[in-house]
Amino acid sequence: MFALGALVLSVSMGALSYFTTRHILVDQRESAAVSDAFVNATYVSQHLAATANIDETLTTANKVTQYSHSFLEERGTWYRGTLQVTQDAIPASLRSMVITGGIAASQTYSLHGTPQIAVGVPIKSIHGAYFEIFDISSLGHTLNVLELALVVLVVVITALGAAFGRWASGRSLHPLTSVSRAAVAIAGGDLGTRLASTAGDPDLAALTSSFNRMVDQLQERIEREARFTSDVSHELRSPLTTLAASLEVLESQSESLTPQARRALELLAADVRRFQRMVGDLLEISRSDSGSAEISLEEVDPGELVRRAVAAAQRTLPIDTAPPHVEVDPEVHGTHLWVDKRRFERIMSNLLENASLYGGGATAVRVSLGNGSGPVHSVRVSVEDAGPGLPPAERMRVFERFYRGHAAFKRGAGTGTGLGLALVAEHVRLHGGKVWAEEADSGGAKFTIELPGQPAEAAEDEELVGGNGPA
Amino acid sequence: MSVPSRILIVEDDERIRSSMKLALEGEGYEIDEVASGEEALERFSAHPADLALVDLMLPGMDGFECCRALRRESAVPIIIVTARTDTHDVVAGLEAGADDYVTKPFVTKELGARIRALLRRVRPVDEAPRIIAFGDLELVPEEGVLRHKDGTEVHCTKTEFRLLCELASSQSKVLSREQLLDRVWGYDYFGDGRLVDVHIRRLRTKIEPDPALPRHILTVRGMGYKLVP
Repeated sequence: MFALGALVLSVSMGALSYFTTRHILVDQRESAAVSDAFVNATYVSQHLAATANIDETLTTANKVTQYSHSFLEERGTWYRGTLQVTQDAIPASLRSMVITGGIAASQTYSLHGTPQIAVGVPIKSIHGAYFEIFDISSLGHTLNVLELALVVLVVVITALGAAFGRWASGRSLHPLTSVSRAAVAIAGGDLGTRLASTAGDPDLAALTSSFNRMVDQLQERIEREARFTSDVSHELRSPLTTLAASLEVLESQSESLTPQARRALELLAADVRRFQRMVGDLLEISRSDSGSAEISLEEVDPGELVRRAVAAAQRTLPIDTAPPHVEVDPEVHGTHLWVDKRRFERIMSNLLENASLYGGGATAVRVSLGNGSGPVHSVRVSVEDAGPGLPPAERMRVFERFYRGHAAFKRGAGTGTGLGLALVAEHVRLHGGKVWAEEADSGGAKFTIELPGQPAEAAEDEELVGGNGPA
Repeated sequence: MSVPSRILIVEDDERIRSSMKLALEGEGYEIDEVASGEEALERFSAHPADLALVDLMLPGMDGFECCRALRRESAVPIIIVTARTDTHDVVAGLEAGADDYVTKPFVTKELGARIRALLRRVRPVDEAPRIIAFGDLELVPEEGVLRHKDGTEVHCTKTEFRLLCELASSQSKVLSREQLLDRVWGYDYFGDGRLVDVHIRRLRTKIEPDPALPRHILTVRGMGYKLVP
């Protein structure tokens, strides 16, 4: 950009000075030629009055000025003080203007590629005219040298401009680059990012301090929000603990209640449990938001993990829920996964609960290898149901908090916490994995999670990996 | 019917305390309730309980300190009630002497299961010899005694003792954390492995000459633990 500016500027400056110089030089040369021609014409007319030797007079005149040829026209007859060119070298228009018009005139033109100035002066005393042609190709040389010098100058200036521009823009854009880098980091969730102090530069110091103040406030707001969610959930837990414990006392004596009271108790119990789960989920999610979630990884066999998790989840589902068929791809044998088992259990139970609530129950759970090479492979676990499936527009949105898709208003509406799939996404994210929804071959919904085969920091398993100390 | 087990509830929220008392009484336990750690110690020395349920967030003396103080006095099983499972609270509570934990808001059924697991008697191990010796120690499962060869007893909690018995009776075979969680605490596959780790650490400080370089309770990388004589 800066180089382009320097180029345009130096080219226009160069062109301007070239044309100005050229104009001045040509003007000067022309007026010099004109005055030379007048001097010669005066000499010729005076000389001719004294002698009648036209040729000798012209030759003398010719010698006075360098690089010029003199001609004299007298009543249609041409005399010349040179053998090199004839009067045809004088432009016809100039000839007629001077001879018939009787006016002195000059003209710049090009003859056989060389620039010439022709000057014509009428000499009334002999009813003729004096012409002189000046070869100004030396001027052309001068101009060529000038041209070359200017081109070199343009190139040098452009190069210098580019170099300076690079340096200057790097210097002046540096703060902008750091602001943009900081903004990207902050958008990526790193709220601790701040700009380095630029106390030396008053302009930049203002930018830096207001940017940092903005991020401070942003961070404070985000933290306050996360803290609020966490505080609310914490506060709700005490009354919930009381509610749940009291409820169980009532339930243990439900036989002594009337049928209406028993039904009311069932409704109460169902919603207290849902409330309990919701508060648990909210706490879990607020921990993720505030970045205080801790993950403790253990090395496990994927097939066993999934079978156990499905069995554990099955116990929390309605008794009439048919257990899904668990299919472990033989390729998976021998691979290991590093997972937080508690979180994995939640992932599976939330996926199975989701299938139970909106998809008529999970039909199949498949474990297969994902991408990878050698012994390090990611592992995919997918949960399929035989429900109506998910419209493509909802496949991303189902992982949003409290998102209610079209299916949520059908059977079982309102029995989930609205956070189940959002938590699945959070747990998977903490493992460095991915989760997505698609259509199963059967037309139902298919949720797949993919967990990396070997996490970057796999040594969280404090005791079992810790070994027995130095051998 | 045997004498009902006495449970001491240490919880500052009166409503939670009352509802827990009601629910646990419904399960057939005899309940003693106090609102602070200081009261708990006082009550415990006057009427020892079979199990203590300690909330970690208590005014004054906190739950950790309460656990440590109770543990100094007795080997009573302690369950801590914590706010979060994924903080250091759990590990700190276990290190302060707790045997197990539950997270608020808990389901009483779950709490009941944890209590029963801690109160049940040491699983009879048929194949195990009457006395298992390792190093200069002797383990007598039937008597519930761990002693040095010279007869001085090593004090350990019921949970530590049960853990040691499981390791001892497996005859140098490796036991995974899942197996130990199941046999000692009654948890399934998804039980918290930290329970095993912290208890193993505590056991080592009691029976290993140098706990940092264990010679009896060995960690088998990626698999579990085993006891070698």
